[in-house]
Amino acid sequence: MTGSLFVQSIGFGLVTASILALASVGFTLQFGVSNILNLAYGDLMTASAFAGYAVNHAGGSIPESLAAGAGFGALASMLLNRYVYRPFVRHGTKLFGMVVVTLAVGIILQNILLGAYGATFFSYSFSTGRQVHILGMVFDTSQLMIIGLSVVVMILVQLLLTRTRLGKAMRATAANPSLAQASGIATDQVTDLAWLISGALCGLAGVVLVLNTSAFQSTTGNDFLVIIVAAAMLGGVGNPTGAMLASIVLGVVTEMAAGFLTPSFKEVIAFGVLVVVLLFRPTGIFGQGATVKEIPA
Amino acid sequence: MSSAFSFYLTTLLVYLGVDILAVWSLNLQYGVAGIYNFAWIMFQAVGAYTAGVLTLGADTGNGGFQQYILGLRLPEPLPVLLAGVVAGALALVVGIVALRRLRTDYQAMVMLVISVIALLVVENVTGLFNGPAGLSLIPQPYGSLPLSTLGYQWFYVALTAATCLFVYLFVHRVTSSPLGRALRATRDNEDAAQALGKDVVRLRLFIFVMGGAIAGISGAVLILFIGAWSPGSWAYVETLVVLTAVIVGGTGNNFGVMLGALLVPVAFNEATRFIPPFGRPGLVDALQWIVIGGLALVFLWFWPRGIVPERRRRFPGGPLVAPAEMTDPSEVT
Repeated sequence: MTGSLFVQSIGFGLVTASILALASVGFTLQFGVSNILNLAYGDLMTASAFAGYAVNHAGGSIPESLAAGAGFGALASMLLNRYVYRPFVRHGTKLFGMVVVTLAVGIILQNILLGAYGATFFSYSFSTGRQVHILGMVFDTSQLMIIGLSVVVMILVQLLLTRTRLGKAMRATAANPSLAQASGIATDQVTDLAWLISGALCGLAGVVLVLNTSAFQSTTGNDFLVIIVAAAMLGGVGNPTGAMLASIVLGVVTEMAAGFLTPSFKEVIAFGVLVVVLLFRPTGIFGQGATVKEIPA
Repeated sequence: MSSAFSFYLTTLLVYLGVDILAVWSLNLQYGVAGIYNFAWIMFQAVGAYTAGVLTLGADTGNGGFQQYILGLRLPEPLPVLLAGVVAGALALVVGIVALRRLRTDYQAMVMLVISVIALLVVENVTGLFNGPAGLSLIPQPYGSLPLSTLGYQWFYVALTAATCLFVYLFVHRVTSSPLGRALRATRDNEDAAQALGKDVVRLRLFIFVMGGAIAGISGAVLILFIGAWSPGSWAYVETLVVLTAVIVGGTGNNFGVMLGALLVPVAFNEATRFIPPFGRPGLVDALQWIVIGGLALVFLWFWPRGIVPERRRRFPGGPLVAPAEMTDPSEVT
């Protein structure tokens, strides 16, 4: 019996990892390009989930809801960076102040959602589909769709970062913003695009998170934030590839913990992994992420 | 003065005292030493729980409906002092993990994560501090004194004031001493402080433990007054309230942050008490959080140094530039 529990935990782990990968890659991209630790990220996920919910509620299909969530997340993140975060940075707010700014924005956003929707639970109307057995693991078709979506998006992000001029420009901006600007890269536009892309990931993650948990409320995204931060740190903050790999590790480990110990200790185990890794490698497992620097204005 | 009003006033004064201890604690860590302690509320919670289990007696009491560790009934000032010791010890452990090797941005993230995880552990390990229900029915300290209910209220105000006074003497001693100067130097320019032979990690660890201990004492004073403490009291966003108080009052200024404690946690929490409930249930609470967040944003934008800014220290014989300007890291690098 334990054997099948083991295999099934891996199955759940892959679903969690897929959601986590979407979320943590977006989170880590924002940090890489702007050096902003965006603690409003989880709340933006919730807001995007509500945007997807509005579409779903109006009779839209799940792909349409996903598109709505991604679009909302992209636009909201870009505007947030352009009209709130970046002005604060240019105004002279330092690293710590920026963390407080993002925390405050997150709290405001979360409580606007609470005020608008109340403390009740919501769920999308959709069918989880039939069950599919793969190598002893049982998935709903909706979970397979989440895994597939995540894999495709991860490949696209990798291709974008390594094979396109935009990706190169983004990595250059992340590594050294003033040098990038001096080399003729329009860093402002690149940063806007980076926030659009990471925001789209944030929105997608928000919608798939609530598809998987089936019921959500104004705090759902923020509850997921800690494990996103853990994945980003484990992968080396600012390193998207690291975040992807860390998501798989954390996804599988936390679902194992849920299967063999108790579901409430998922995050605790994830955190234990993080602390042990940080004790030995203070910059995360997967090499060097963004280096410490003041936030580029 | 009607007795209902005196009752309200004394309650408010105790809360103010607790919040003043809170802002001094966070101001030592963040304002003076520049440590990004996003887990601050956890240290207050640990102090509160410690004082709780050291006052409640064995957990078979009160019909045995609560489960918790230890369960002692220690004589009066001990639970508060031990709350400080335990919170300080926790700060030492957290500090050794977080402050010793990690970069400052990682520190901020680790603190945040620790705060959430601690809450999860306390909620799920019911045997620790009675899980999600929390501790309650904690007996009042010095309850055997022959005092009326109102008399006891004033007595507790005096106890809180005395605690604040002792803590202030300590805090003032630290911030006005060469130690405080060294701490501000590590905050303003870590590399320069290190080059001058300051052991940055030890200095930070010391102030982190001291701040943690004061946070623990503030939790103890609070729990012994209200008689209950549960996970609902220390979600990580509660740290934002104390942080906003520090920023509004004046980061790094002991008197400024006192003003912040009066304005942010006390004034804003009390203001909502007088708003008639409207809209859906919980809307007023949501608005309160929106206002706290907005306050943090407005002050960081318009008055980042707060209402009573940190005093610029000038040293005879030193350069004529104010230290804060001279050591602005953006100008050095």
